[in-house]
Amino acid sequence: MENSAYLAQESLQQFLDTLGGFGTLHAPTWSESGVSLFAPVRSLDEIDLGYRRTQIPPKKYLFPFRDTFLEYREGHYRFPDGTSPATVLFGVHACDLEAIAYLDLVFLSEPRDPRYAERRAKLLLVGISCTPDEYCFCSEPQGSARCDLFLEAREGGFRVHAGTAAGAAMLGAASELLQEADAAPSGRAPSCLIPAQDPARAYSRDPLWDEFARRCVGCGACSACCPTCYCFDVRETPGLSGDGSRVREWDNCLFPSHGAVAGGNFRPTRLDRLRYRFLHKYCGFSPLEGRSSCVGCGRCKELCPVDIDLRELVAMPRGETEQP
Amino acid sequence: MTAQALEPYLPFAATLVERRELSPDTALFRVAPEPAARSALSGFLPGQFMQLSVPGAGEVPISPADLPGADGTLELCVRRVGQVTTLLHQARPGQPLGLRGPFGTGFPVEEMTGCPVVLLAGGLGIAPLRSLLLHLVRNRERYGEVTLMYGAREPALMLFREELVGLAAAHGLRLYLTVDFAPEQAAGEYACAVGLLPDLLKGFRFDAGQSYTAVCGPPPLYRCLIGELTAAGVAPDRVLLSLERRMRCGIGRCCHCAIGTKLCCTDGPVFRLSELAGIPEAL
Repeated sequence: MENSAYLAQESLQQFLDTLGGFGTLHAPTWSESGVSLFAPVRSLDEIDLGYRRTQIPPKKYLFPFRDTFLEYREGHYRFPDGTSPATVLFGVHACDLEAIAYLDLVFLSEPRDPRYAERRAKLLLVGISCTPDEYCFCSEPQGSARCDLFLEAREGGFRVHAGTAAGAAMLGAASELLQEADAAPSGRAPSCLIPAQDPARAYSRDPLWDEFARRCVGCGACSACCPTCYCFDVRETPGLSGDGSRVREWDNCLFPSHGAVAGGNFRPTRLDRLRYRFLHKYCGFSPLEGRSSCVGCGRCKELCPVDIDLRELVAMPRGETEQP
Repeated sequence: MTAQALEPYLPFAATLVERRELSPDTALFRVAPEPAARSALSGFLPGQFMQLSVPGAGEVPISPADLPGADGTLELCVRRVGQVTTLLHQARPGQPLGLRGPFGTGFPVEEMTGCPVVLLAGGLGIAPLRSLLLHLVRNRERYGEVTLMYGAREPALMLFREELVGLAAAHGLRLYLTVDFAPEQAAGEYACAVGLLPDLLKGFRFDAGQSYTAVCGPPPLYRCLIGELTAAGVAPDRVLLSLERRMRCGIGRCCHCAIGTKLCCTDGPVFRLSELAGIPEAL
């Protein structure tokens, strides 16, 4: 079986039906209140194929907002029972695929996070090419190797490429719907990642830092909607019969509580918290030091209520400096 | 023998064995890990930390005040400050607890061999430094002169005072105790100076070129002491600082404890001053 094939637009519904055999199909759609999101879909007409970006990125499938991580019963902590269902996530853009690859680096390196690993093993990723809008700042890749299957829009359909054995299996199952691909893969897709920055930039006396600190309202939208933000807090709640559960929740470095310890706070000001975000996002924390995790999806730029764009602090290579 | 690795995400069971009050808000808790976990603790270094779980309340990072005993028990010196530590302070012997760890870097006790060591502790900072001190005392012949300077807010809050005086007498340690202020000092109590640690350090004569210094205390202490240590000529890679941050997971994932781009839980909590150069918020 070839790893690439052509899928005509007319066959897309049947193709989705086939993908549904590999797990529950989720895709970009609209909520009742008009928010773009990934959610379960049954048919093609529920899918927003030309979507720009979902408000909440696909990290929610691997790392839910609130997750019972441990249970305490009969004198012992244990991992909760139960496994996650197989899911086919259809229609993921290259930036979000790059983000998942980053989260894999974080959570699947030793010591492997058991909850993340379990969910990741059950998640099949089907990417799709996109059209950048005014908020996007990626390098406009039209393909990605960070997924099982990638659909690149072509005249009247898609060029479908399998990047993994699971992707090849999906192609195999859909072989009756596919035609021979018209051309060979068009080289390696560029990465979405914004180049890593020098940590010294976080401590620079650039007046922009003070300006951002003055403007920031600390709402945390930039972090909540970021496909690579993964800071989590841990809470434990007691049950009524001596048992209890320990929950992990998304935390947010823009919140004052993020740097709090009993008796003090290591990041008391908004400036401290913005710098922390910059350091984590553009410089990387050990052991991913020197690695940026900004994939250019544009969510933070679109959602910030006071138009803060930390990338204005990013030293762009010569000739790429944005116009004011 | 290599210690058997434990599941780093899953607390193993432990039991509170006894508690000893050290001050109105601080106690020393002796905790017995379940037998299966004891081998994992055998490689413990002074300065490393454990994540202590109080079931139903949560987890807190604690640097043990001594290396695990021959019976496998750990001594944890804990002040009653937050929700978890308050519940721990209400616990009685027999209370089930949980432990994960050891995590992080400890003091480089092998590298320090043959050198004089100066320990500088402020307040509760004595807890992790006590484990280093006890290691130095038990291997006394392997180290040079050992000095402990320990400052507390007032005499009643000075932890381990009698024990430290006893250790100093038995093992030839130089011991300097100081309090920020002394309301009244009862006759017959051990004398301790009134003044701040940096002032004490100012007049202190020691072999700054050879010495390792280990510092642990409340955040404002570090800056003052580092000025004095640097002025005295201690090399930045021999100034060892045990730092505190909000370490939720202990394994570099939750990202609450970054210092610059380093993580306090995995790159620390013991850092060399030289590693913190260029990170203004570190100290």
